[in-house]
Amino acid sequence: MAAGVAVLMVFSSVGTYMYLGSRQSKVAAPAQLPTSGTPSPAALNLPGTLFVTQAGAIYSYSAGRFHQLTALGVGWTQLAPYPGGRLLAVKRTLLYSDVYILDRFGKVVRQLTHNTAAAGNYDPSARHWSFYPRLSYNQKSIFMSYDKPKFGFDVPMSIWSMPVGGKISQGRLWSISIDYTGGDIQPLSLRTGLIYTKYSYGPDCSGLESQLWFTSAPEQAYGTRVCYPPPGAHGRPLTKAGEGCAQPALSPDGRTMAMICTYRTQVSYLNLASWNGKTLGARRTILRSQLVAQPTWAPDGTGIAYLAPAVQGAGFQLWWLPKAAYTPPTPSPSPVAPTPTPGVTPGPSPSPSPTPSSPPVVIKPVQMTSNLGLDATSPIVWLP
Amino acid sequence: MAVIAVALSSAAGGFAYFMPAIQEAFDATSQVVVVPSPSPSPSISTGTTTPTPPHPPGAFTVLLLGSDNDAKFLGGVLTQSMIIIRFNPTAKKVTMLSIPRDLWVPLSTGGTSKIDGAYALGGAGAAIATVQNNFGIKIDAYIWIGLAGLVNVINAIGGIDVVTQAPVFDDFYPYDIGPGNPYRYLRVAVLAGPQHLDGTHALEYVRSRHNDLQSDFGRSARQQVVLLALRAKAAQISAEDVPLLAAALKGQIKTDMSLSRIATLLPLAGSIDIKNIQQVVLLPPYTHGCGCAAGYVVPVWGAILPLVHQYFP
Repeated sequence: MAAGVAVLMVFSSVGTYMYLGSRQSKVAAPAQLPTSGTPSPAALNLPGTLFVTQAGAIYSYSAGRFHQLTALGVGWTQLAPYPGGRLLAVKRTLLYSDVYILDRFGKVVRQLTHNTAAAGNYDPSARHWSFYPRLSYNQKSIFMSYDKPKFGFDVPMSIWSMPVGGKISQGRLWSISIDYTGGDIQPLSLRTGLIYTKYSYGPDCSGLESQLWFTSAPEQAYGTRVCYPPPGAHGRPLTKAGEGCAQPALSPDGRTMAMICTYRTQVSYLNLASWNGKTLGARRTILRSQLVAQPTWAPDGTGIAYLAPAVQGAGFQLWWLPKAAYTPPTPSPSPVAPTPTPGVTPGPSPSPSPTPSSPPVVIKPVQMTSNLGLDATSPIVWLP
Repeated sequence: MAVIAVALSSAAGGFAYFMPAIQEAFDATSQVVVVPSPSPSPSISTGTTTPTPPHPPGAFTVLLLGSDNDAKFLGGVLTQSMIIIRFNPTAKKVTMLSIPRDLWVPLSTGGTSKIDGAYALGGAGAAIATVQNNFGIKIDAYIWIGLAGLVNVINAIGGIDVVTQAPVFDDFYPYDIGPGNPYRYLRVAVLAGPQHLDGTHALEYVRSRHNDLQSDFGRSARQQVVLLALRAKAAQISAEDVPLLAAALKGQIKTDMSLSRIATLLPLAGSIDIKNIQQVVLLPPYTHGCGCAAGYVVPVWGAILPLVHQYFP
């Protein structure tokens, strides 16, 4: 009897301990490897191949399956398309980063920059960062954010271009970044000029803001750096300071710009605006009040992929927004039941509508992955 | 008899589970703090000393202190971050006011210096008294957290989501947490935009100030962003996570609040709508630089005190 009670006591105490341990929340659970996740059935319908990064590794995603292309923890990030199905990518280390060309299987084809310092030079500032590489529209040069010139404690990124096959020392400066802001990032080369994200303190030198900026020619000199560029200097802004826009992505037909705007808040909005080669049209908010990042157009124009957490504070997941979610619906004589969703604003209803009593159709974004921790600072690449 | 024995052993299992947290809670909370009264000592300029008015009913004000407690500091540590947080449960509001670390004020320990030295010279009591004397805000309690504590707690809750409003680049970020020479530098690059930060990168984001035109003011704003992200993530944790968090914070957190007070405040902090959280940073014209090598920040009390009384009535 006594032995039985003793065994029961051991089981109940250990059981209680283990039960409490099992009741821990999953907030600290490490992100799953993309290759071990269960694909969403909808993923099978996406055309082409997407490339994303997580924990310093590159993954491709096609037909609903992830494939790990590079080893974990190597520091790969900031992907961009390159001709021949290849990729531009940044390899980031503790003190510097370099741009590489990779083949579609993640194998290094060529190293484009050499941003480390000479052996024996222990000065941290002798190294450089290269981020956000992008091929120019005519495929003759590579644009990137590069931290040169530096001014002591002021380490601003500027936009540079270097010839394909050349060196960064042959590069041209395209933007003059503003003092102590972090600088200019995310270049997007177009036939008409260059769009990039500029950080500045605004016309009154008060709050730090991001704006999409447009310039049609490289800078001739380093120039004067102030809180905010004077009108007409260094190109012109495409968005207002209070919009806080960044991460520009042009649609395959070249007529619509997707961008992420924060409006001075701790959430982000996916906005679309028409683009005529020189100016942006009216904004249309497609996703609001969440942490949406890295909008990327499908090569066939059928929708937009982006990154966002499924649960606040958890890792970023891959999402897909079909074109119907942001395109005005075709008038239909038969009413369709709405599907409520908090995140998506449908396009404007056609007017006049043949069925004015029908509520607009709301298309939900499709969550393609769960439990991953995709790198939200690394653009998605989507190849046909 | 057997039922009682099983119940007791289950309780023992639960006690064993929460024991590390209980131990840490007793070690970290209810710290004895002596707050010196304002003194008319001639060594202290009393020109800015203001009486501390009572709170609105139910309101509770905490002084949050974040410290350099790395290997460079063998004696007293400076407070890199000083944030006054007022909880108003009646109005369901929270107000956060960041005090510039370099603010030039009369210290409660005597003399005039940068406010970040108050904790180093006289501990939490001196920091509280200095804030009370200068800002006219009654501080009910303090929480002190070390650098490693911030890193550990963010890692323990699986990281935080933030929108970094600008890239943060720093070629001379102190590489002083962990083993090795604490006087080394690290290059830091926290990219801009919505992202998930682990503890190390969150610390880089809130600690770097070299590449910010607003220097410590910009850093203060970033600290408030990370605090709000921590609050959002903390809402998802359960009671069973407490031992894990206690282990993460071991020796890196101190407060004079009692456990019962903490138990009252935590749900309140989580329940307040983000729209009802006001953030205040003392940018110019509330302060200005000294234009001197010492690099301190001069308070404009004529502007600060009305602002303080507006947000901390």
